[in-house]
Amino acid sequence: MRIARTLIAAAIGLVLAGQARADLSPQEAALYEAAKKEGSLTWYVSAPLEGMQSLSNEFQKKYPGIKIQMMRTVGVAQYQKFSDETSAKKYIADLMQNSDFPSMQALVDEGHVLEWKVPSSDNFPAEFRIGNFAYAHYTSTNAIVYNANKLTPDEVKLLEADWKNVLDPRFKGRFSVSPMKCGVCYAPIHMFMDPKFKDRYGAEFLKGIASQKPAVYSEVLVALDRVVAGEQDFTVSGWEASAAVKWIDGAPVRWVFPHPTPIFGNSYLAISKYAPHPNAAKFFLDWLTSVDGQQTMQRVYGAQGTLKGINDERPYTHESWYHSPVELYDVDWKRWDANFHKDMDLFAKTMKESQ
Amino acid sequence: MKRLREHLPSLALLALVFVVAIIPLLFVVDAAFYRETRVGLAADRSSTAVVDVFFGAEYLGYLAKALALAGIVTFFSLVIGVGLALIMGRTNIGGKRAWDALITLPLYLSPFTGLMAWIALASPKTGFINTAIAAVFSNNSGAIVDIWTFSGVVFVMTLFFCPLVYLFTVGSLRGMNTSLEEAARIGGASPLITIWRITLPMCLPSIVASALLVFILGAEMYTIPGIIGSNAGFTTLPWRIFEDSTAVPVHRAHAAAAGTLLLLVTVVGVWLQGRATRVSARFVTLGGKGFNGRPLRLGRWKYAAIACLAAYVLAADILPFGALLMSSAMKYSAGSITAQVLTYKHYASFFTTENMHVALINTVILAVATGALCMGLGFLISHLALRKPTRLNKAVAFLAVLPVAVPGLVYGLGLVWTFLRTPLYGSIWVLLFAYVAKFLPYGVIICRTGLLQVHPELAESARMCGATAQRALVSITAPLVKATLAAVLFFVMLNAIKELSASVLLYSQDSEVLSVLTWHYMDSGDYQFAAAIGFVQTLIMLAVVFAAQSLFRVRLDRAFGQGGGR
Repeated sequence: MRIARTLIAAAIGLVLAGQARADLSPQEAALYEAAKKEGSLTWYVSAPLEGMQSLSNEFQKKYPGIKIQMMRTVGVAQYQKFSDETSAKKYIADLMQNSDFPSMQALVDEGHVLEWKVPSSDNFPAEFRIGNFAYAHYTSTNAIVYNANKLTPDEVKLLEADWKNVLDPRFKGRFSVSPMKCGVCYAPIHMFMDPKFKDRYGAEFLKGIASQKPAVYSEVLVALDRVVAGEQDFTVSGWEASAAVKWIDGAPVRWVFPHPTPIFGNSYLAISKYAPHPNAAKFFLDWLTSVDGQQTMQRVYGAQGTLKGINDERPYTHESWYHSPVELYDVDWKRWDANFHKDMDLFAKTMKESQ
Repeated sequence: MKRLREHLPSLALLALVFVVAIIPLLFVVDAAFYRETRVGLAADRSSTAVVDVFFGAEYLGYLAKALALAGIVTFFSLVIGVGLALIMGRTNIGGKRAWDALITLPLYLSPFTGLMAWIALASPKTGFINTAIAAVFSNNSGAIVDIWTFSGVVFVMTLFFCPLVYLFTVGSLRGMNTSLEEAARIGGASPLITIWRITLPMCLPSIVASALLVFILGAEMYTIPGIIGSNAGFTTLPWRIFEDSTAVPVHRAHAAAAGTLLLLVTVVGVWLQGRATRVSARFVTLGGKGFNGRPLRLGRWKYAAIACLAAYVLAADILPFGALLMSSAMKYSAGSITAQVLTYKHYASFFTTENMHVALINTVILAVATGALCMGLGFLISHLALRKPTRLNKAVAFLAVLPVAVPGLVYGLGLVWTFLRTPLYGSIWVLLFAYVAKFLPYGVIICRTGLLQVHPELAESARMCGATAQRALVSITAPLVKATLAAVLFFVMLNAIKELSASVLLYSQDSEVLSVLTWHYMDSGDYQFAAAIGFVQTLIMLAVVFAAQSLFRVRLDRAFGQGGGR
């Protein structure tokens, strides 16, 4: 019985592999063969584990013979781990995914990243890549995430119109913020502190938020969880992908994109120059940045892909309450890097003083 | 040559302690003296971080808050833990076996998992307690309990640390010679005066040891004060260390300097404990003469005592474990349980995901190996320090305890730097080294407490009858502290299963453990799946302890601070 099951599984695998091979160009087919000889790859992941596990499961189903071993290590901690290992000549990571752009830029600048032009390179926007070294495979879009049972349609419209409307007296004591030092937490603060928005937002706006007596959560995902539970009506420190995962699970959460909406390339993918399994890493990166990989990512993880011309397959985009962001705000990486700490400290201090 | 041979065991232990425990600490101290870059340490030296941390009002303020919080938590843990121990150890209350198991149950829960359970229970608007009260009494006037306050932090931390105080104290109380108590009662002292003047002073080493341990663990804990503290408007030093270590721009030198500051606090604490238990003979309760303890008859106070125990069990066991179980069966967080939110998918995923199996096996191997090593080493180090108190032996015992002070995150970095260039890096064995370093202090402290209560006259008698020192150690002293050794084994195993901060820095794709997986799912916001892993982890801990106790025929709840294997 067991032997029969193994044989059936092997047969299905062969059929799938044959089908997958048929879809590949000769170069990619050769790369797949080389990747299979290596057999596995180690992926340092910064995005939430469940979504990335689903993504790698889809890849392994389609391309049998390459086992993906994931290790979750986030942001600058990943940079440090990789740097420490490299300096000790312990080469473990094949592919890296890092949500901290400056950390990825530093790895590229220090010569630790393999230059690799993915087949979809021509359709990959320049603002979501670092040359042919690193590719952000999805964007993070900041949003006000709310509990659908707690806000009236009028209140939702008000919040969607402008970030400043969180200062409306009716929202006093009903929402939360998080001064956690992370990329998506900083993006709206980065926009509020943009010199061109000095009169519209600036430090005074932060004080205004504080005067609304928000709940302050040190962990941004705890802030989201409290909205899901109904403890807080909405959170200003939200972003689409995190809320989408909960929405897909059936939680009563929705989100709006106040104007303007910060958006930035997140989770940069890059191959280690010292990768023990370089072909497997190249083949997986090629797939992640392909139309198929991007659409799979949208379906299983819910984030918006960065590749040009792909169909939007995110399930919630067809809901009547969902409105795409209208006025986008692109982050300025130079100012981001220079002011991150200062701005977030100011935000944390301002919120603390309100308590 | 003879002198060298005599000191050989001590020198071997010194070398081991130095490699496993001290070198990582030295790396931590060293890291404090570097200039910082945005993502780590520069190549050149600087004392900026040390000056900021040791002389700046900001970091000293965080330290003061951490110490104040630890002091308050220690006070309440002692009051409740010793109170429970007195009821269980010195009275004739019934059902002791069941109560013992229930009082120690919080040990099987990691602090962060327990915190999530209490957030689900006692959040003002959606906490199960508040919604249940509102539903039963139609009360819409506001929250009855609110975990997001300073009192909430103290409450949750106290619940976690009470079992430690209890375990350290109840063994002493059960094993103590009651003749002095009886003399006091015959002399006209009331039961309360007898407890205050006779009973409690007799188990002072256990109380002091537990107070020190709780104070240190309370001062270095970052999860509970960090998560709730932001909402309650206060920040402690360990949370600041966590932020300095993980958030961009990283302040590694500041984190290392702050870790060093906490290390100094512990050095003072260990020195104070040494002073408090200096006259060890004063605390001997197991000598060459036998005695029988007679429990205090509760009489009409029986129901009050049961009410106290029940209140504790409700708060520490039934509510958090119930909330954890409920959370693990929910798709997402919700204030009320409906069919729409229920799911079994988390448990299905747990048993079908491949890395769960690897993590499960690694966790069990590491727990058993760490427990055995810490038990053996802790016993040897404590025995030498107490029975042959040379400078060398005392130094080994002192050095072995130091890692307890440094927050796991900072110490973990020291361990990374220590083992990075060795072949062990990336294997399960580097985690074993890290765990032994981290939990050896418990082995030393608990064994010391147990040995303090065994008079040397028993081993001396064996020597006078011609036994060698090794024979006396193995045949007389070790069996007498069998219960203490078992306590170390189980206690370290439990903590090894829960260990996170060093594991998260040292694990690799082949050495993943359950606590790391739980953390990753929590860190990804998937609290319900993390609750399911946490619940399975708790069941494993119960199974491991049950199996080990059956094997050794010794109960954990009776073992701490007790010299005899009764």
